[in-house]
Amino acid sequence: MKKRLVAIILALVLLFALCACSGGENKNDEKILRLGESFAYASLDPHKDYNSWGTSAYGLTEALFKMNDRSVMEPLLAEKAEVSEDGLTWTVTLKDGVCFSNGNAVTAEMVIRNIERLAEVNERFAYLADFEYKATSDAVFTITTPEVYPTMLNELATPELAILDLDASKDIDNAPVATGPFVVKSFVPESTVEVSRNENYWDGDVKLDGAVFYYMPDDESKLMAMQNGEIDGYAGVSAASAEIFSADPDRYVLTDVAATRLQFYILNENRMSDEVRKAINLTVDCDAIAEYLSGTVSPAVGPFGENTAYGKVTKPAADTAAAKKTLEDAGYTLNSDGIYEKGGKPLSLKICYYPSRSLDSIAVIMQQQLKAVGIASTVESYEDPDGTYIATGDFDIALYCMIADKNGDPFYFIDCTLRSGAPYNCGGFESAECDALIAQLRYETDADKRSELANKIVQIAIDDNAFGYVGLFNKISVTAPGVTGIAENCPFDFYRIDADTDIVR
Amino acid sequence: MKKYIAKRLLQLVVVVLGLSFLTFALMYIAPGDPAEKKLSAQGIAVDPEVLAATRAEMGLDRPFLEQYADWLGGLFSGDLGESYRSGRAVADMLGESFVYTLELTVLSLAAALAISLPLALLAAVRQNGIADFLVRIFSFIGNSLPNFLISVLLMYYFCVKLRLLPVISDGSAKGFILPCLALAIPLASRFVRQFRAEILEQLGKEYVDAALSRGVKMRYILFCNVLHNALIPMITLTALSVGTLMGGSVVIETVFRLPGLGKLAMDAISARDYPVIQGFVLLSSGIYVLLNLAADLLYRAVDPRVEEGGDAG
Amino acid sequence: MKTKRKSAKRLKRRATVLLILAAALLALSLAAPLLMPNDPDATDAQSMNLPPDAEHPLGTDRYGRCVLSRVLAGAETSIFSAVALVLITFIIGTALGMAAGYFGGVTDTVIMRLADIMLAFPQMVLAIAVAGILGGGMVNAMLAMGVSAWTLYARLARAQVIALKKEPFVSAARLSGCGSFKVMTKYLLPNMLGPLAVNAATQLGVMMMGIAGLSFLGIGVAEPQAEWGSMINQGRAYMQLAPWAVLAPAGAMVVTVMVFNLLGDTLRDLADTEAVK
Repeated sequence: MKKRLVAIILALVLLFALCACSGGENKNDEKILRLGESFAYASLDPHKDYNSWGTSAYGLTEALFKMNDRSVMEPLLAEKAEVSEDGLTWTVTLKDGVCFSNGNAVTAEMVIRNIERLAEVNERFAYLADFEYKATSDAVFTITTPEVYPTMLNELATPELAILDLDASKDIDNAPVATGPFVVKSFVPESTVEVSRNENYWDGDVKLDGAVFYYMPDDESKLMAMQNGEIDGYAGVSAASAEIFSADPDRYVLTDVAATRLQFYILNENRMSDEVRKAINLTVDCDAIAEYLSGTVSPAVGPFGENTAYGKVTKPAADTAAAKKTLEDAGYTLNSDGIYEKGGKPLSLKICYYPSRSLDSIAVIMQQQLKAVGIASTVESYEDPDGTYIATGDFDIALYCMIADKNGDPFYFIDCTLRSGAPYNCGGFESAECDALIAQLRYETDADKRSELANKIVQIAIDDNAFGYVGLFNKISVTAPGVTGIAENCPFDFYRIDADTDIVR
Repeated sequence: MKKYIAKRLLQLVVVVLGLSFLTFALMYIAPGDPAEKKLSAQGIAVDPEVLAATRAEMGLDRPFLEQYADWLGGLFSGDLGESYRSGRAVADMLGESFVYTLELTVLSLAAALAISLPLALLAAVRQNGIADFLVRIFSFIGNSLPNFLISVLLMYYFCVKLRLLPVISDGSAKGFILPCLALAIPLASRFVRQFRAEILEQLGKEYVDAALSRGVKMRYILFCNVLHNALIPMITLTALSVGTLMGGSVVIETVFRLPGLGKLAMDAISARDYPVIQGFVLLSSGIYVLLNLAADLLYRAVDPRVEEGGDAG
Repeated sequence: MKTKRKSAKRLKRRATVLLILAAALLALSLAAPLLMPNDPDATDAQSMNLPPDAEHPLGTDRYGRCVLSRVLAGAETSIFSAVALVLITFIIGTALGMAAGYFGGVTDTVIMRLADIMLAFPQMVLAIAVAGILGGGMVNAMLAMGVSAWTLYARLARAQVIALKKEPFVSAARLSGCGSFKVMTKYLLPNMLGPLAVNAATQLGVMMMGIAGLSFLGIGVAEPQAEWGSMINQGRAYMQLAPWAVLAPAGAMVVTVMVFNLLGDTLRDLADTEAVK
């Protein structure tokens, strides 16, 4: 009886083992790059939702301009864009010989139709319908805006403004006809995407034969697929995985670049005095936090990368002694529990966070750093920050993470966090000077002056201790040796492979 | 009997509709809505005006009851609506995910039975022996490890250490082995306990002693009488766990990248994709209630003493 | 094949041992603050992911926190939340189930359909809705689990009451003028508590696992609170670097669930032998 059972179990094990050993290996000489992706999209229609972040990464679609690794605009489908004296009319010239994957030329008229379609199907770009477009020749068109629009180039570089052959694209959701170096081979909504070389690519030869993008939301799955040699690389390596990869530099190449996702906290001015906020900012040690997050974030001074022209701000270094002195000068005294109190009321703060983008780690570490100085705090986790603490303002410290630099310009982030009444200015920060400067920034066309204005505005907020900028996420990519050009040096998430991506064994 | 089934089916409709209302209400009260989730999907702040316009366009600014009535109306005309997130028909999305979950359920259930039946028999026959002890240890460990840990352990040993199996399955037969095992191990652990108890109960019955004293071989009694008699409760137990399995397992589906119902539901909930959540609740609760009914009927067919209205399970 | 049923004496001895073990676990979790070698919440950038040493007997986690101290601190949360959850759902479920079985009719239909709805409610939908509406945290995770957990006891209690209702001693009590409440508490409850309690004991492990599962979804217990399930989930990413951060809470969980499950099993066996007698 027992023997028979053992036999059955053995047979099962063998069966599994057999299954595991069979399965043909189809190795031919094709250069197919296999990548893991943390996001997947329901459709390949680049104009809808955030699908373009996928189609652009997969090398399917291109916009008129692109942002290079230093967040500077570069021509892509367009040759150049010039603005008129009054700043109201932009003249965009397309490159010579730019064509879709079916060989049709990209015309100015088609570009305009794409812009109009984007404005129609994507709420975030509805404002594009306020502009007037006119094709003056096959390769030139003009954009007329009702008021000065300094960030036009940045808008034209956004991946959502992908140019499709709208006449030839019969099924935009599954097989858009676009200009990228690759074309769709197979597409499973919210799952695996296969692309193959666009034989008609307008900008020379494409090095890869194709690529496969596997949707792998789980960090451990990506790590193990990489260890098992099933993928050739991925972007968005977690701290733990990076540590494992860095132990074996012969098999894995790690690249990190300061990216655009910012972790920050909002200090509630309605509930905390100037001194308490100052003490908090002096206590929170961004360098230590970055150390805990082992390389996945860089300590932030302001909201933008320090290598950008609009990222030149300063803040005092963490100094716990100064923090304690600030509190003591404000009349706080240490009680028997080692916590500062004033008028018999101990200092106890409510820190709100949502468990994503390492904000949980920051909450844990901040709580400890505050405690070491003598500030008690409770940590509360919410599933949906926008519907809870951001909306109600019921917090002392609110942690949040968002993309601060979405298109190489500081205005968007400043406008939605620092302006009076802005959706993320929910901690009661108000400064007439700031509002005036923001109004100026909105219409300033000179790039240097924009940076200068941005630096001034952010510095006011820092000096007021209205916010704390904790860390800028690094984009960490891992590749197998010989894999090059998966935009590992580019801070933006929506670029991945292009014509130069290659595998050299 | 027919009347009973009709009554139960009617109650089923009440339960499922009650659930759909409850879900809709819960999701409506929960902070965040599909418009906000859709616009901020990539961590870019939402402009309040754009948000308001999107809400209006999606019909989210209408009163709660109107929205629910709208959905209910669609349901009665056989339309589950379209996903807010992807614009695809909810019925199609459910159908695709259902196939994965069904495959996973059938395979892992088969694996769980293949593991647990022999072990339960062995443990029952050798009650309090070493085999029994080992089997019970297995069942306790399998029962007390969270399945996300089991998944990662399995993946680490079979894929990275032994290099026997691929991490990326993409529909291949090999790819199903690990997720099935990860689901089957806790399930088998539970089955072993329950089956062992059932078999022991049968072994304690008088007919076993009687047959033994008549000189019938133990092996014969075991396979022909004991197992036969223990079968019905075991089928009931299995049927009940199918209900749970069919809801999909988010954990297993996330780790092993199987786009089943659990993953679909999880994504839909975090995106507040109301139509998909509603469709999922209808489907999974419907399956659950139907399976329960089937288990009840089975029980009744076997044991006519079960009183009208009595619950089995 | 010789012994089909353990003698009641041996079972009783085993039950006693297990009860003592379970009590010891409870005591341990109560005394945890005294036993912790380090502050379970204190982070330390200089000692992240350290293997076990003299200062940290079970190593440190990714924030440099002492794993042993956190396992001990987690015992309090994990064990007590499971016990409390089982107790509360047990009381509510039993009360509702008894009412349904005793009064029958509309009361029965309403309560049992409610149970059906709760049982058929996909737990994940419920858990996320609760977490979304009420926020994260242990109590809300317990609420999410409890909403469906009571149905088990309700169904059992109802079936028991229906069976007991026909017994002569119940009719006698009713005829002698006892009110419904008295009949239920004085005559019915004592006769059904045994089997129900056994089921409750086996549910302890299930509840612990359920709460752990919620933390995988990012709901339920949140940092910095120490709880075994969330520790396992957090440590999972570091399994290849710092396996102790996963194995320690997992080991604690296996041992605890095993003790509670064994206890439940033994109590059930014991109840069976008593019934035979």
